[in-house]
Amino acid sequence: MPEPVYLDHAATTPVREEVLAAMLPFFGPRFGNPSSVHRWGREARTALDEARERVGRCLGASADEVVFTSCGTEADNMALIGVWRARRGEGRRAAVSTPIEHKAVLGALHEIGKEGGEERLLSVDTTGKVIPASVEALVREDVAVCSVMWVNNEIGTMQDVPALAARAKELGVVFHSDAVQAFGKVDIDARSTPFDMLSISGHKIGAPKGIGALFIRRGTPMEALMFGGSQDRGRRPGTENVAMAVGLACAAELTVAEREEEVRRLGALRDRLEASLLARIPDAVIHGRGASRAPHVTNISIPGTESESMLIALDLRGIACSAGSACQSGSINPSHVLEAIGVSVDVAKSALRLSLGALSTDASVDRVIEVLPMLVEKARRLAPV
Amino acid sequence: MSGGVDSSVAAALLVRQGYDVVGATMKLFCHGDEVPDRPCCSLDSVNDARRICEQLGIPHYVLNLESAFGHDVVRDFVDEYARGRTPIPCVRCNTFTKFRDLVRKADAIDAQWIATGHYARMVDGALHRGLDPAKDQSYFLWGIDRRVLSRMLLPVGAQTKAQTRAVAHELGLELIAEKRESQDICFVPDGDHTRIIARQLGEDAPALSRGPIVRRDGTVVGEHDGFARYTVGQRRGLPGGFAEAMFVVEIEPESRTVVIGPREELLGRGVVAREVNWLVDAPALGTELSVQIRHRSRPAAGVLVRRDGDEVELALDEPVSAISPGQSMVLYDGDRVLGGGVIERGRRALPVRAA
Repeated sequence: MPEPVYLDHAATTPVREEVLAAMLPFFGPRFGNPSSVHRWGREARTALDEARERVGRCLGASADEVVFTSCGTEADNMALIGVWRARRGEGRRAAVSTPIEHKAVLGALHEIGKEGGEERLLSVDTTGKVIPASVEALVREDVAVCSVMWVNNEIGTMQDVPALAARAKELGVVFHSDAVQAFGKVDIDARSTPFDMLSISGHKIGAPKGIGALFIRRGTPMEALMFGGSQDRGRRPGTENVAMAVGLACAAELTVAEREEEVRRLGALRDRLEASLLARIPDAVIHGRGASRAPHVTNISIPGTESESMLIALDLRGIACSAGSACQSGSINPSHVLEAIGVSVDVAKSALRLSLGALSTDASVDRVIEVLPMLVEKARRLAPV
Repeated sequence: MSGGVDSSVAAALLVRQGYDVVGATMKLFCHGDEVPDRPCCSLDSVNDARRICEQLGIPHYVLNLESAFGHDVVRDFVDEYARGRTPIPCVRCNTFTKFRDLVRKADAIDAQWIATGHYARMVDGALHRGLDPAKDQSYFLWGIDRRVLSRMLLPVGAQTKAQTRAVAHELGLELIAEKRESQDICFVPDGDHTRIIARQLGEDAPALSRGPIVRRDGTVVGEHDGFARYTVGQRRGLPGGFAEAMFVVEIEPESRTVVIGPREELLGRGVVAREVNWLVDAPALGTELSVQIRHRSRPAAGVLVRRDGDEVELALDEPVSAISPGQSMVLYDGDRVLGGGVIERGRRALPVRAA
């Protein structure tokens, strides 16, 4: 079989060699607990503080504005629920987000609803862009927190975060952005963009699964979600994951340094992939096209096919991609993002998400262009399922 | 692959025989309100199936067939109970889900064969009973499209369950080798089918509402709280005080009546079945066959006396007890499955062959 092709970087990425090397000492000789007073503790504490500074620098933030979390989901939960709980006494009972967020944000928003808050969802257009009029209508002075993802994980659509954050600021609303897919793809700088909070995740950028970070601008009201020791100023108790914090710092620095070149490289691959597929499958629909999109995600619906069978057929030929959101059992459900941007159920059921990244080359794109149209033709010959 | 021992061993045997095997688990209903330790269709079972496939070195996929299964199997199950009948969802699952929808998935990946862990055998392209009479599942397979037979592999059908477990141990499939068997209907986890009827049709559906219990002559002898709780031949839950044991002999959904009577009122000499499917060229009228009207019941000798479209009528050589509408009538020639249908009704009198 030809070389396997991994086109699911939006799901996860391999740990980079430099990152692994940077982490290794902390699984071995430098194993100390950062809270300990002895030399082992000091060594670990220093590495952790440095990691915090380094991640901060990558975001245009200070070290004390960075909280390490176990993942992007934890960071999102902390931002939404933590802020909402801290502000519910101020007459700000509402929380605002969009219908195309990751489940981490939608789940947290729903929890706010269960705790007595008001859930509000902004409207998005057919490319997934937030409609400004709905921001005017829903983001008001009774809102505690507003969360809008910078880059959508399924269709790649980018939001105008600077404008949204500025509007929120005028109204005293804490603004959060889930930047898990945006980090390394867009220029993120807390000094020039007035967001209050921002989530990133390690495993999307070459660090391991199990580490994320939340930027919290100084002065942002927030309650901790966990209770225990005084680690991370009490915002996130629990012995810190030193090795992975170091890994995240290393991956973040590399990602920021390579960003412009990588955006160009992936954008070119993506454009060629889309153009070639459209040339061979003229009735295919690329979701979010026309909006400004991050360079690494292509979400394509191919009429007369069905995501589940296509994913299997592609996997059996060594091509890995994804569709919709996989449920716990591993079966595919139609995407809530596509539904929210007005894609019909039938079209959504034929969607495939191909996401490019570190492992993507011209050869991977060539392979997809060779295999996918052939599978499509075959699927269309068979009776529809 | 349900994550159970039969389908796991089936896959393992095929791998050993050199087939290029792809494992598939069908997700048939929402896992939201599942019972965690259910032997099949739960999240744990999907995980078991995936782990077995990893161990066998084959890919594994979860296929979402919820919507089709809901329509073809669950909805029909509820509708049948609402009509006073006793359906077998496993038959429709085999007919529509496993050996139609799953076959289409197989087509999509160029898989020539479709294999399951059923205890039945393919002999020269014909479907036969499983060798182990205690496990034989051929009764549930009569509805399959005949054209699919040539693509079916039933690797455990020539084994006993004990042998299957032994093979599982031999192949190192310890994860599932001693897993207990599923008994209930997979989408009725607590064994109470009225809950799913209530969910789909409402608590106040006629099938779940109070009605009279009567004798054949119309004498009211009691009340029941929903005819969907009864099936022809059932003894449990009936009023007592009769000289002889009483059984449900008929359900009349229009008047919500459950008719009871002594054992001899259950006996029938004829069966009318619909939605008939043949796995062989349809036999001529007058053909002598072996007729099975319930899973695990002893087959009775009978004669095909009428064939109208997808409806047939059989005359039975000896009276047969509790011919229940909604159950399957399966026709055999020895061990070979000829076809079957859904029982429409039993007849107390011996039907005669139309001239």
